[in-house]
Amino acid sequence: MPETLTRILGYASDEDKAEQLHHLQHCSAVDQIVLPREDTQRHRLRVHSQTNREYLIALPRDQHLSDGAVLVLESDRAVVVKMAEEQWLRLLPGSLADAVELGYFAGNLHWRVKFHGAELHVALEGPESSYLNRLQPFLDAKRVQCLHG
Amino acid sequence: MALSPARIGIGGPVGSGKTALIERLIPVFESRNLELAIVTNDLVTREDARRIQRSGLIDPNRVLAVETGACPHTAIREDPTLNIQTADQLVLAYPGIAAVIIESGGDNLASTFSLDLVDYWLFVIDAADGDDIPRKKGPGVVRSDLLIINKTDLAPYVGADLDRMVREGTAVRDGKPVLLTNCATGEGIEAVMDQLVHDVLFA
Repeated sequence: MPETLTRILGYASDEDKAEQLHHLQHCSAVDQIVLPREDTQRHRLRVHSQTNREYLIALPRDQHLSDGAVLVLESDRAVVVKMAEEQWLRLLPGSLADAVELGYFAGNLHWRVKFHGAELHVALEGPESSYLNRLQPFLDAKRVQCLHG
Repeated sequence: MALSPARIGIGGPVGSGKTALIERLIPVFESRNLELAIVTNDLVTREDARRIQRSGLIDPNRVLAVETGACPHTAIREDPTLNIQTADQLVLAYPGIAAVIIESGGDNLASTFSLDLVDYWLFVIDAADGDDIPRKKGPGVVRSDLLIINKTDLAPYVGADLDRMVREGTAVRDGKPVLLTNCATGEGIEAVMDQLVHDVLFA
């Protein structure tokens, strides 16, 4: 039977948790649950940890999963959430007009974006190819450049 | 220790069978001793809530309506505050419930739920609307936790290939579950409930 985890006890960065977690890490007794950002918004989910143990997470609605959330902390083991690194598509519009249109387009598709200087960064919440397919007319016309690295 | 009630979204195009699915799920929840409350969303009426309240399947007080007044997806994705408040109201009134089901108003294939509102969501499509729907990769089809292809009984009349719909649906969804239902007869409903129990109810 999978273990049900019903509350966040604190965070790995909390002073009182950090020391105990450090000790448990030396004993290889910290099990990590790696979650994509989107899944950290859920209050219920069935997951597998890095040691392939299955857990059922069922949190009260006033608690929110985030990187470092400690779900189990006992003398001989701990379970901690690690948020998977987010992937972003970096786009560079060719002109002000292209930037305005790209911004409108991204908003219309409800993409989550952030700005970085002249670049628009789009959070990849699915395969990169599906984003590039939508952007094809911009890319073909060289109105937007997709940057890598 | 009792778990905090799960919140389950049901979305899908107009007429695909979202309300019918809820009407079929209510007795199955009951048969498994799981209490339920429901929030329905309609554009400018309370039609779906009234339909369920009058069904005799559930205490009418456990069904509340949200009138979105605008595109239904705005109330389940962009700003789900009204739905969150309504679900909170039901949880406060009925603390023993296992889940609140939140039914979106009928929308298009691009409609998705905010995970601030629900923990898990289903997307219901109508087999008779065309067997090319899954492979068209609408965000609702691709991103939902469970895809339901309803009205399977109508497939032969419109030449829809159900096997192909399931195959292509599974492919575009990266293996996430796809189930067939006929809400007119109840066919496939137990399998939907089993999936909910496994994925989100943990009962």
